[in-house]
Amino acid sequence: MAVQRSDDSREIAPGVHWVQENGPDRSDFVAGGPLPEWYDPEQSLHIAQNAYVIDDERSLLFDTLSPASTDCVLEATDRLLDDGLDYVVVSHPDVPHAGNAPALLREYPEAELVAPRYGDTHELYHLEDALQVGAGDSLDLGEHTVAFHEATFPDASLHMWMTEEKTDTFFPVDWLGYPHMERESLLFADEFDAPLTVDRLVQFHGRVLFWFQYLDVPKLGREVDRLVEEFDPAMVAPAHGNPVREDTREFMSMTKATAERVDEQGRVGTLG
Amino acid sequence: MTVRLAEDLWWVEECYDLGDAHRHVSVYVIREGDRYIMVDSGSFYHEEGIVEGVMEATGGDGVDAILLSHSDYPHSANVEKFRPEGREVELIASSGAPAAQGLSDATKCEIGGEMTVCGRRFSFVDPPLADRSHTTWIHDHGSGTLFAADGFGSHHQPGQCQMTSAEFEDNIPEAAIREFHREELVWLRYVDPAKLRAALEAIFEAFPPAYVAPIHGHPIAGDDLEEYLDRLIRAAGEITDDYQVPA
Repeated sequence: MAVQRSDDSREIAPGVHWVQENGPDRSDFVAGGPLPEWYDPEQSLHIAQNAYVIDDERSLLFDTLSPASTDCVLEATDRLLDDGLDYVVVSHPDVPHAGNAPALLREYPEAELVAPRYGDTHELYHLEDALQVGAGDSLDLGEHTVAFHEATFPDASLHMWMTEEKTDTFFPVDWLGYPHMERESLLFADEFDAPLTVDRLVQFHGRVLFWFQYLDVPKLGREVDRLVEEFDPAMVAPAHGNPVREDTREFMSMTKATAERVDEQGRVGTLG
Repeated sequence: MTVRLAEDLWWVEECYDLGDAHRHVSVYVIREGDRYIMVDSGSFYHEEGIVEGVMEATGGDGVDAILLSHSDYPHSANVEKFRPEGREVELIASSGAPAAQGLSDATKCEIGGEMTVCGRRFSFVDPPLADRSHTTWIHDHGSGTLFAADGFGSHHQPGQCQMTSAEFEDNIPEAAIREFHREELVWLRYVDPAKLRAALEAIFEAFPPAYVAPIHGHPIAGDDLEEYLDRLIRAAGEITDDYQVPA
């Protein structure tokens, strides 16, 4: 597969582009303790904010990057799409995920805003006129088809996940994130020098899924096992971690050890 | 609508009609001498009522500082409405990446730390019940009030909008507490309620509140807190028990 890459985006499957916002240096996340093997003190540490562009007969953007990267996402859609943008999909209305939706809709006035149907406060997020979708709903883009799913691990109820059928890609949004070093920007996890480890996932989940510290651990484990069987994807494309295209079942299952670790040690900090 | 909770504390109450119930989306105003501090800024959906209520509480002066629990739109959407040109209004938020949250000029408060704002001392508390990771609860040492988002909310019926816990015949109903938390904090279905209770009790031991003042619920008087907590933990248990992992 030919891989096209620009400064802030990479084609991760035919017609599927990953746009990465690195955000600030998070080196302080690992300060004060033994440095993990995957950490390089000579490099900056990031937790990505990702958006994904699907370029087909009809085009789609999944999440919008943060307001700190308005120019970045507008330049990316302009560069990657020859015929404009048809769908702006927001996984959930958290500012770093949805904050550029107004700018994108101004740039592409014909585009349709797509939002989760879950939750009951769409008006508080200007989402009342969006196309509201959820489990059982899909969008035919041409060769690609995306399907929507109720998020199993949402921060708030107005939240959804997405899959793409042709490339068998799972977009789990706030689940399965992890930090990366600057040199790992726009790399697949299998291109890193060191394999992914539970302690990397703890750095993300111990902040964002902070409720892991109060868990019924076996119940969470059963849920993860169910999700592995339900999705079993060829590629996992999170909002806050680099895409994973090898051993995806094992990667998803690492959530269980991650949860046990957070349950034992408590949350490791905050993010956002 | 503005409800005065103490000599120096106002609840600017707004709520959203869910159809079968209402949900509060409120802000609070604190007076310190001749200066005013606002906790959260409310939703753009309620902009007119929030501005009117804050102006009523401040005698038309407006606010001198805004403390944000987190940058979610129903909490942060009106920040700029209270920062007119020519007036210096400090914005304090817990975000570690304020530009990514659309809050480029915010002063960062450290969760677990404290800060004096307009001469008033506040502690920033790691919240066991929240949606966004960077959320902080805010303890006002002057009034002994703990401002909470998004937990400690409840749904209510028309006619109950301005009631504090003390004005209910028997405190805030357990069903109203349960339904709010079931819908707002979906992840509660995976928690062990005993662990949650321990975390909450540790906070109340460190910061015994005269009021717990939720953004999405009725202010809970200190005398009513123990019963509210019992109901909340039972509600969390029901939310957990009601959700079984599909086979």
